[in-house]
Amino acid sequence: MPPVITLNAIDYLIIGAYISVMILVGFSLKKYMKTGEDFFLSGRSLPGWITGLAFLSANLGALEVIGMVANSAKYGIATVHFYWVGAIPAMVFLGVFMMPFYYGSRVRTVPEYLKLRYNEATRGLNAISFAIMTVLMSGISLYAMALLLKLMLGWSLTGSILFAAVVVLLYVFWGGLSSSIYNEVIQFFLIWLGLLPIVFLGLKEVGGFQGLMAKLQEPLLHSIKYLGTSNNPLGVDWFGVVMGLGFVLSFGYWTTDFLVVQRALASKNLNSARMTPIIASFPKMLVPIIVVIPGLVALLVLPEFGQAALPTADYNSALILLMKHYLPNGLLGLAITALLASFMSGMAGNVTAFNCIWTYDIYGTYIKKGRSDAHYLKVGKYTTVIGIAISVGTAYIVQSFPNLMDYMQLIFSFFNAPLFATFLLGMFWKGATAWGGFWGLLVGIATAAGHYILYRAGILTYHSDMAANFYQAIWAWSADFVVTIAVSLFTVKRDPKELAGLVFGLTAKPKAEARWYARPAVWGTLAIIVAVILNVIFW
Amino acid sequence: MNDKIETGEQKTGMSQGHVLDLKLPIGWLLSGYGVLLTVYGLVTKKEMYAISLGINLNLIWGILMLAIGGGFLLAAFLKRNKKAG
Repeated sequence: MPPVITLNAIDYLIIGAYISVMILVGFSLKKYMKTGEDFFLSGRSLPGWITGLAFLSANLGALEVIGMVANSAKYGIATVHFYWVGAIPAMVFLGVFMMPFYYGSRVRTVPEYLKLRYNEATRGLNAISFAIMTVLMSGISLYAMALLLKLMLGWSLTGSILFAAVVVLLYVFWGGLSSSIYNEVIQFFLIWLGLLPIVFLGLKEVGGFQGLMAKLQEPLLHSIKYLGTSNNPLGVDWFGVVMGLGFVLSFGYWTTDFLVVQRALASKNLNSARMTPIIASFPKMLVPIIVVIPGLVALLVLPEFGQAALPTADYNSALILLMKHYLPNGLLGLAITALLASFMSGMAGNVTAFNCIWTYDIYGTYIKKGRSDAHYLKVGKYTTVIGIAISVGTAYIVQSFPNLMDYMQLIFSFFNAPLFATFLLGMFWKGATAWGGFWGLLVGIATAAGHYILYRAGILTYHSDMAANFYQAIWAWSADFVVTIAVSLFTVKRDPKELAGLVFGLTAKPKAEARWYARPAVWGTLAIIVAVILNVIFW
Repeated sequence: MNDKIETGEQKTGMSQGHVLDLKLPIGWLLSGYGVLLTVYGLVTKKEMYAISLGINLNLIWGILMLAIGGGFLLAAFLKRNKKAG
């Protein structure tokens, strides 16, 4: 099969310039990496706008962008729920309510918080599952990238995998989390500048946003109107969307996934750490401009997605086909660079999160405890090499067994869903005990797995796979919540003195609040108001 | 390992920060792209832009990126001057 897109010299020049700048940035950060905190947490020195944009970009991977364009072509405007319902409230909650405990307690990782709040077993469960998931995920996205580049540009699989691995290795090895974060900020600008031309040209061709609305079918045009029952394009009712996506999945991801939380921990002070997710929430609300509009335009302008072709259409190719449809060489190179940048920064993000958890929570806890900071810095640097080697290995295994990809993502979902209950009770209920936390988390994970088995066996039925996924999260979360409380009532309580700084009500309020216009609560409230208004407009 | 516990607000100066000003690489990369696309837009033929609805978007986008990249460079330059002065 010939490649979809043909690049020329100018496009390669643009791609090459990006790679060179990334390597140079990594190299120039090398001299600042003197301590473990420099390497793993950027010396806790970065300003809020940088950590905020990195917080957003860490999640805006290329697969995410391509997938959301596909969702928009499939589900229409309802895709905005993944942003306005499924992200903004959780991001604001993290900044306003949870960050004081994460940043204020000076923990270096999310599992370390679990260790301080609950016990070693809870930390171990979370750290080991997260480390394995993260490094395998990085391999999966590496393979997905190589496959896309092969179909799109005709590049060789091995070439793409090794090339991306070496570039990411170089800049993470030199610059640690700072390299990763700087790359994410650069990616933030590239993805907007790379994809907006498609939005403009698409809207121009279909006659503006009004033209778009006039030509599409009614159910694709509303975010909320048809959520009364599950008889809508998503196949999920309002309860599943609000509780499953908006509450459990979104809070579980945005407030406990170390990949994103690590960005906030790199901030220079508590106020910047709290502002990090809130700063990120504003551009996050605008991301639908570059994913939903192209998805809807694809339905109208691409013959592949015409009414006749619907059942067999491969929506994942929508973005790539649009790039081919609209972009001349030059801008094409820019758009490809944007995708490459988000692939690489996604991989770098996974690798830096893996590094930090492995070195502090696994190696420094179970293997070699109490060594010098210089020792852990060295371990962290070499873990980068090992982490990338495992990713490359995973990429090749997934290539031979493509089904593995689905299984892995499935298993990951078991671990993620209940976690937010453990954190919510840990941070806001001082009565949650050490073993309450552990058993709650374990039963939550088991519930997610059990729900999946019942769904597959046909004992539980839902309108769509997405609905099953949302309800699985709700059940896992509820099981974790109930079991944590139940076990806590019968096990030994922690001494409240030990919990100072970790739990609401036992933690002194930060003394020096910023001026009103720099306060997280003010901006957080504003973010929620804007998100509500957007939901009403696209009702 | 947890001997470095301090209260949140006073840590600003720790390890001098990572002083590489991120505005510089962003500024150079974007304005570099701006120059490339502008020049490429000027030398390419009109027929190439049939797919972008007849608009020479390389030229327009190049100028836009030059402006954004230049803005970052200017901000970095002003900040550096302020520090020096």
